[in-house]
Amino acid sequence: MRTRGAILLANIITGLALGYTVTNIGFGDFAALNRMFTFQDLRMLLSFAGAVVILVCAFALLRVRRTPGRIHAGVIPGAVLFGTGWAISGGCPAIPIIQVASGYLPALITIVGVIVGIRLCRWANARYFHLDRGSCGL
Amino acid sequence: MSTYWPWWAGAIGLALVTINHTLITDRSLGVSAAWDRVLHWRRERELERMDEEFADDQALAAALAAATAEHFGTGTGASTAPQAPHEKAQPLEADTESAASERPSVTSLRPAPLVTQAALLMSIFLGGFIAAVASGRFHLRYDMGPGFRDLVTADSTTMIAMLFVGGVLVGFGTRLAGGCSSGHGLSGCGRLRPVSLVATAVFFGTAVAVSFLLWKVI
Repeated sequence: MRTRGAILLANIITGLALGYTVTNIGFGDFAALNRMFTFQDLRMLLSFAGAVVILVCAFALLRVRRTPGRIHAGVIPGAVLFGTGWAISGGCPAIPIIQVASGYLPALITIVGVIVGIRLCRWANARYFHLDRGSCGL
Repeated sequence: MSTYWPWWAGAIGLALVTINHTLITDRSLGVSAAWDRVLHWRRERELERMDEEFADDQALAAALAAATAEHFGTGTGASTAPQAPHEKAQPLEADTESAASERPSVTSLRPAPLVTQAALLMSIFLGGFIAAVASGRFHLRYDMGPGFRDLVTADSTTMIAMLFVGGVLVGFGTRLAGGCSSGHGLSGCGRLRPVSLVATAVFFGTAVAVSFLLWKVI
């Protein structure tokens, strides 16, 4: 069990490194993102896929958790909604933050939308879906 | 203005960030989960408080035994088996499944403290700002750039509406699916979790389809 201070410091380092890396890859640039999704430019796609390949090898070597996970009813519709929103707004949950940090002020609207969407999902799930959605990140 | 990093540098950077976070914190990286917890901070703080209250299983078992003894007037009737600590309303499947098969140093049953998730989000902003300024890309803009203008809309009112709707879809979708590009895409796929592989394939495939529509059709 890690201490609270260690986790706080690790999250600060992770946030700084993630923001720095993702900005320098170009994920905050809508045009570059669209070129990735339409396969006009494979650089960002290779960055993401290359990271996954490295992670698979590293996690296997380090014997980091190999949980099977559970494909619940919300996974596919949720992923469809996320993919649509990502393509339209150019932002996944981290990207609007770095867009604002890069000077794209309208990305604040995306952040507001993300906040509304997350709160709406928890409300709708508690009231209607009753899905055990799990979580990838803690 | 400098160019973006080559793909291999981006791949190494993303992988190192994820590996570093996993090894130091014992937890998966997930930005949408951090958003979720920060936005529902009242409830999360209450859950944290209850977690702390019941963190010591032996103390909890002793307290239950004492309470039972007080109630029934005997000290032998109570079970001394440690009870499971308080569980969150939404069980965190990534941490509860097959924990025994994992290396002890990279497993954890408790979510990271709430304040650390807020720090993660703020640090992402700071890291992005440093990168933008250092690379000469930082410019205050009132639009989303020529790409958005050409592919989605050049009208400012429509832009606001599209960004808001897109944001809502992202927020709702990532939480319904249980993760986003960092949680499912990097951490989950890195662990070869079927749910993450499916989610990543679906959200990436959908983004490809919608982007082709934006590029070729609209």
